[in-house]
Amino acid sequence: MKYAYFPGCSQESTAEEYNRSLLAVADRLEALDLMELPDWNCCGATPAATVNALLPHALAARNLAIAEEMGMELVAPCAACYKNMNKASHSLNDDDDLRERINSTLDDHQVGRAPKVRHPVDVLVNDVGVDNVPVAKPLEGLKVASYYGCLITRPSGGFDDPERPQSMDRLMEALGAEAVDWAYKTKCCGGAIYMAEEDISFTLSADVLAHAKAAGANAVAVGCPFCQLLLDLYQPKLETIRDTTFNLPIMFFSQLMGLAMGLDRADLGLEKLVVSPFKLLAETIDAPEDTTAKKPRSRAPKPKPWGVA
Amino acid sequence: MTQTDAIRLGAETSAEMKEIEEMAATCYQCGTCTGACPVVAAGGMDYTPRAIMRMIQVGMEHETLSSQTIWTCASCYACAARCPRDIEITDMMTKLRNVALKKGYKARRGKVYNEGFMSIVRRHGRMYELELVVRYNLLTNPLNFLGLLPVGLKMIRKGKLRYLPDHPQGRPEIRHMFNRVEGDAE
Repeated sequence: MKYAYFPGCSQESTAEEYNRSLLAVADRLEALDLMELPDWNCCGATPAATVNALLPHALAARNLAIAEEMGMELVAPCAACYKNMNKASHSLNDDDDLRERINSTLDDHQVGRAPKVRHPVDVLVNDVGVDNVPVAKPLEGLKVASYYGCLITRPSGGFDDPERPQSMDRLMEALGAEAVDWAYKTKCCGGAIYMAEEDISFTLSADVLAHAKAAGANAVAVGCPFCQLLLDLYQPKLETIRDTTFNLPIMFFSQLMGLAMGLDRADLGLEKLVVSPFKLLAETIDAPEDTTAKKPRSRAPKPKPWGVA
Repeated sequence: MTQTDAIRLGAETSAEMKEIEEMAATCYQCGTCTGACPVVAAGGMDYTPRAIMRMIQVGMEHETLSSQTIWTCASCYACAARCPRDIEITDMMTKLRNVALKKGYKARRGKVYNEGFMSIVRRHGRMYELELVVRYNLLTNPLNFLGLLPVGLKMIRKGKLRYLPDHPQGRPEIRHMFNRVEGDAE
């Protein structure tokens, strides 16, 4: 199926590897055709609504109108873009006065009926289907904590449960990884306030990593560029703050899909991760056959899901 | 007479607060929002979300708008997802920031960050992270540049920094939109 694809600002800079790996995955999947939304603009993230209540709707409306012209649903990989445009899509369709008011601020585009906005995890799990992902190299030995963060499942009423989502876990299992159950799946990393309130966001992010580690994960899967930035780029700093070692590679779910699908690794951007995944991959999915066979699958008893270090 | 009128004690609150008061009116103080809030757990709020709800109900406008809470809210929607009264608490916090900015309340560093962010989107149509970081730190804490160095160098090494802004062709339309939206809101 064809979708209008909204990369979003972060996917051109800090999370370029998210964009690259997702497009590589889509390129391989027949059921997923991502057509870049022409001339898209920033969704306004959290600041837009803070500065002006109408602004997030107006910024989203221009993108929604372009997708509507294409006659396609809109896929947004960034959780903040997804939430903003999804919310605007509903508001614009439910409130005729708002739609008229917003349309009057646009010169070249108009929203008639705003298209549905989707997160790629939703599309992969519910449209493509996890069983239709061709797995060439199962992710055996990877114990993945799927981290949904805030905006993939909230505000509630989306495609997965806001307290205990399962979609990314199901995807990880289909790829051959072990899906780690843990209590911080939807806890916030502090991404929206990390510039203005650094200390708070570092506390939140360190908690997320500590819980992933305590639950026995050796990697974390994410679907949001801000979660990835805080947990990966700042992980060395968080380790210093907590005086501990996390050593958890934070990979976009699309990078993990690319690994399992056996895609060209140059298309996955794994070298861009600050916490390198290569040692882990060498010990798990890239390990020579015989050593993996001898290695006991789980030496430690299964950790309690709610455990904290 | 609305519910909020019935319980308000003090002076009349301002017109901008009316919509927010209506949103808070059905809160019965169960505290689920506070229990759900990760920022409360991290010690980052001076008033809990539950306290903020009650303060709005009883007309404590000044205390609410000058609180740290409305700026340290991480907009994670955990409170709203769990609220048994279906109050859009997170959106309320955003509206409170909005009113606080309009009324000239001291907005911690949030004012510089949020307004800086939107001025970039207005000019470029897309985010330009480098300008945001430079501008934000110049205006809040120039001495911090040294502290940014390790992370900055890491980002450069990993090719995570965009040096030049990217522009959609529809920039004029986007600027017009900003002007009209801002004119509309006055």
